[in-house]
Amino acid sequence: MEKKLLRFKLNGLEYEIFINPKTLLVDVIRDHIGFTGTKKGCESGSCGACTVMVEDMAVKSCSVLAMQVEGMNVTTVEGLEKNGKLSPIQEAFLDYGAFQCGFCTPGMLMSATALLKENEGKVLTEEEIREGIEGNICRCTGYNSIIRAIEAVSKGEYKEG
Amino acid sequence: MIHDFHYLRPDSLQEAMTMLSEYGDRSKILCGGQSLLIVMRQGMVAPEYVIDIKHLNELNYIRFDEKKGLAIGATTTHRAIEKSDVIKRRYPVIADMENRLASIQTRNWGTIGGNLAHADPAGDPAPVLIVLGAEITLASLKGERTMLLEEFFVDYFTTQLNEDEIIKEINVPVLPPRSGCAYQKFNLLRNDMGIVGVAVKVTLNEAGVCTDAKICLGNAGRVPIRARKAEGAVIGQKYDEKLFAEAGKIASEECEPVSDIHASEEFRRHLVSVLTRRMLVAAWKAI
Amino acid sequence: MSGEIRELRYSMFKTGVRYTVINHKTRNIDGYAKVTGRAQYTFDIKLPNMLYGKILRSPHPHAKIKNIDYSKALELPGVMAVVTGKDTLGIKQGIWRRYKELCDEQILAVDKVRYIGEPVAAVAAISEEIAEKALDLIEVEYEVLPAVFNPIDAMKKDAPEIHEGVERNINVTRHIEWGDVEEAFAEAEKDGYIREDWFRTSSQHHMCMETRAAVSSYTPDGKLTVWCSTQAPYYMQALLAWVLGLREGDVRVIAQYVGGGFGGKFELDAAMFCSAVLSKKLCRPVKIVFTREEDFIASKRRTPMYYYVRTAMKKDGTFLAREVRVFTNGGAYTGMGATALYLTGFFCSFPYKWRAYRYDGFRVYTNTLPSTAMRGFGAPQAMFCSEQQIEWMCKDLGLDPFEVRRKNAHTECYEVPGQAYIQSCGMTQCIDKIEQWVKSKGDLGPNRAIGISAAGFMSGGIFNWFDTPYSFSSAVVIINHDGTVDLYVGCQEIGQGSNTTMAMICAETLGVRVEDVRVFSGDTGICPPDLGAWGSRQTLMAGNAVKMAAEDAKKQLLEFAYAEMGLNIVYDLDIKDRWVHVIARPERGMKYEDLVKKAIRAKDGQRIVGRGYYTPRRKGMISPAYSYMMQAVDAEVDPETGKITIHEVMTAHDCGQPINPLGLIGQLEGAAAMALGYGYLEDQPMDEGKILNPNLVDYKVIRATDMPKTGMIEIDTYEAEGPYGAKEAGEGLTNPTAAALGNAIFHALGIQLKELPFTPERILKALREKSEKKEAN
Repeated sequence: MEKKLLRFKLNGLEYEIFINPKTLLVDVIRDHIGFTGTKKGCESGSCGACTVMVEDMAVKSCSVLAMQVEGMNVTTVEGLEKNGKLSPIQEAFLDYGAFQCGFCTPGMLMSATALLKENEGKVLTEEEIREGIEGNICRCTGYNSIIRAIEAVSKGEYKEG
Repeated sequence: MIHDFHYLRPDSLQEAMTMLSEYGDRSKILCGGQSLLIVMRQGMVAPEYVIDIKHLNELNYIRFDEKKGLAIGATTTHRAIEKSDVIKRRYPVIADMENRLASIQTRNWGTIGGNLAHADPAGDPAPVLIVLGAEITLASLKGERTMLLEEFFVDYFTTQLNEDEIIKEINVPVLPPRSGCAYQKFNLLRNDMGIVGVAVKVTLNEAGVCTDAKICLGNAGRVPIRARKAEGAVIGQKYDEKLFAEAGKIASEECEPVSDIHASEEFRRHLVSVLTRRMLVAAWKAI
Repeated sequence: MSGEIRELRYSMFKTGVRYTVINHKTRNIDGYAKVTGRAQYTFDIKLPNMLYGKILRSPHPHAKIKNIDYSKALELPGVMAVVTGKDTLGIKQGIWRRYKELCDEQILAVDKVRYIGEPVAAVAAISEEIAEKALDLIEVEYEVLPAVFNPIDAMKKDAPEIHEGVERNINVTRHIEWGDVEEAFAEAEKDGYIREDWFRTSSQHHMCMETRAAVSSYTPDGKLTVWCSTQAPYYMQALLAWVLGLREGDVRVIAQYVGGGFGGKFELDAAMFCSAVLSKKLCRPVKIVFTREEDFIASKRRTPMYYYVRTAMKKDGTFLAREVRVFTNGGAYTGMGATALYLTGFFCSFPYKWRAYRYDGFRVYTNTLPSTAMRGFGAPQAMFCSEQQIEWMCKDLGLDPFEVRRKNAHTECYEVPGQAYIQSCGMTQCIDKIEQWVKSKGDLGPNRAIGISAAGFMSGGIFNWFDTPYSFSSAVVIINHDGTVDLYVGCQEIGQGSNTTMAMICAETLGVRVEDVRVFSGDTGICPPDLGAWGSRQTLMAGNAVKMAAEDAKKQLLEFAYAEMGLNIVYDLDIKDRWVHVIARPERGMKYEDLVKKAIRAKDGQRIVGRGYYTPRRKGMISPAYSYMMQAVDAEVDPETGKITIHEVMTAHDCGQPINPLGLIGQLEGAAAMALGYGYLEDQPMDEGKILNPNLVDYKVIRATDMPKTGMIEIDTYEAEGPYGAKEAGEGLTNPTAAALGNAIFHALGIQLKELPFTPERILKALREKSEKKEAN
């Protein structure tokens, strides 16, 4: 199969790679580029562990052909911290114990980040937060600590930078 | 494992139709891919050519006209529909339905055209659009044709689309005055697929008598099913919960559900009956 | 600083101890790695020269393997090797090493397959895709045998024989008895109340977010290193050595980050075994990751049970006796099922005092996916039956269910005859608190009610079926010259927060801060042996080992400090928050860092090393301590559709002294999510042994929008056997929920549900039967 050139930005950096066009975005991120923060937890687009942001939208990278993000900005969990400083939602996850085994956490953080970005300046209701992460399965926490962490950031308890 | 394919990325609808006419059934249109990629991973669908139209902005629009109604381009995402002010205002039933369609991630990338083309009888948009009287426009190099959405579905995962055709647009007429709509799916998890879903639209005259009723059942047969006998029972009548219960029973008899691990046929019929009654009440109250 | 010193002086006169670390909300020490994507799971590991493996699985529930031809697979470019059972030593392994008849599983089938999904061959290739293609080229000739799928059929005389020589397919039996059961029932017959019920519990899958995964690297010097997703690296080390014919010391198992366990990851699995066999053949690293489907069909599950409970009580609600009979669907192999069989029988007596009790359990082989340990380990099944039946009996007799539970509950210093000795017990306080909470809620309206359930659980299983010669838990504390501490533990972090708990216990004991402690775990090459994360044993057992190791190191420091400070022998020294001081005069002292530097010089330049270990001896049959809890579930049911909405879960919980409140609340909420799923969502329906929902579309797991509010009331007790008074706090919380939900439905609709999960169809059926009964009357 002839390889295709894919150009896109991952966590702010430009990448140019040749891929088999059937390659999924998650595999480009993990295997071709080597950012293994993004996980895979199923083959059916159900679990959300592979969630990344494409142009600030939460998307399941296992259900997107990599070729489809040509020219776009993709952000993974590795793109949340800046120069070793964690983002507000990462800090809040630590304070609220919003993770246990941690396997769903990168995807969960991306859904949370997209939700907060979309609603910047607005205090989210508990229901809105629950809806914002309902595409992500967490088998450990029962979600409520995650809700509290997102709520705290939404209320402005954590400041950027 | 996805089988290898040639990846084609047309720059316009015209180019996409040209590719389709060339490759026909050896090709498959890919838009958001939220359903297609999963069946391709299972090896159930293995096209030689994938024609990716996700980026075609000429099909990405929501337009509203007081006379012509609502027009939604095929590559419009579920999330855009859910968030659209005009849809929230004029067709809140569509926005609400979209809000419970799968996860935000799926709605962000998945498109209305892709959803309808996939023709899963459990899909949420079809029953709602059908009771609203929506039409679907298909395009190919030979020209365009428009049909009622309810005629578009043929069988499980099968539609009227010819191998050279592409979905271009969905049109929803302006609702007549004194109309109300409601949709609900029954499931155990909020954003899960519906075990069954029921959409209802009713229009009343000034005396409160029902002049038009449409009831469409999702996941209660091979395709979204109009419960015409149940509709007939309601038309010409006023608000009457006993009557709605009767209509529910009629609907449960005219649908053709199957048993699977999520529900028996009997339970699905029961749900159709209950939800039809409830949606008739809700539609009436939405006026 | 001076303020803190005054605080210390004040605390000296209090009876209680003031902790500087324990019981303070503490960030998980693995958190930085986990929230930044740095944490490397087995799933993420890529080694130079690495190959990818895939496993061919049986499509038949029961068949003889006549022949396997993989010549075509080997011809596929990129395929490096294919192995079958013939390439193994054919050892029948199992975690019950002491009991050879219970070691019954050859991970690559040699001559027979006994469930759909059983591994038959494994391929290594240069890519996952090629390995997968190669599977299609392997031809296996089977002779299909008659199969049997449920324990009742499997016990019949003419049922197919699943394991040679195992009569009526009965794998294990267990018997527990105390008191005169007949006499007690006779008394109830005369002047009391007896009720009997049959129940059926369902299957549940662990559904860890990280599926089974392993990377094995065997090198020509005869050494094997295996990275894997496991709860018990030491067990895996020993089992791999056994099945591969290596010495334990030549096998190193590494499991630094594990994406969930819940009881499903402490047996040897096919990812580990097949990758190791392939790597040994090729001397190259081989990685195998289960797909979600493989994980569902071939990585064991919670044990489904047929349950009979007959209970006798006096008319005033005093419990007299109980008789329990259980038949479990064991599936094709023993796994951890034998322990689940014992524990379900024991916990069906919990948390109450019975004058007489008799349990008979039968674990039966069937041609289905083997059942094994899962969070609660037999106890959720027991509670589901016991706590619902008690509720129904209270209703039958018009008794107050809180009062009846209180009257019969375990109390401190109670002996479960011949089984267990209870030291700390906050059961009655738990009942009181939940009673207050329920009463404060008032009337909730139609079709909605609160159901309650009591429960308890072990705090560290005293089981050595593995026959380890080592202590159950060990720890090594090393103090470096700058005062930082390296803590080496064998206990396994799987997300439950054990690394943080151990760091906290170590920091508290040594008198340093959590950030001073670096924990090394999950590597048999550098950590002392420990049985691993199962049986709720880490906090108590590993915690005691860590405490002992830290005390050992601290003693060495203080000996030196004593001499250095030239103290009168009547004074005692301590270290708190990096301050070494005279306890009676806390302002008199020195900096911990200064002391460490000097002490190391005085020890010939050797770092300070402390050792600790723990093995439960003379602690009964099951556990050195027990946690207790009472839970209330507020639920609403739509009587027309059978749909359940859960509004709130409130739990009063006695786990002794909490170590990390942040971790504790996480355990509570996580257990509630999993146990609610067990109650109304999760199941693995089968057709002729084939699991029908092996994916996350059809297997339902609670999501954020369906998760109810949760609350916790902590009951203050002190467990003498636990480190700083701590007990189990994660697994047991799974036990009461399904029963409490069932009781909520009972009070909301007046129906008695005896089968899990509570699906809408089962609820509607029960409602129909109820109204038919009413009409008949």
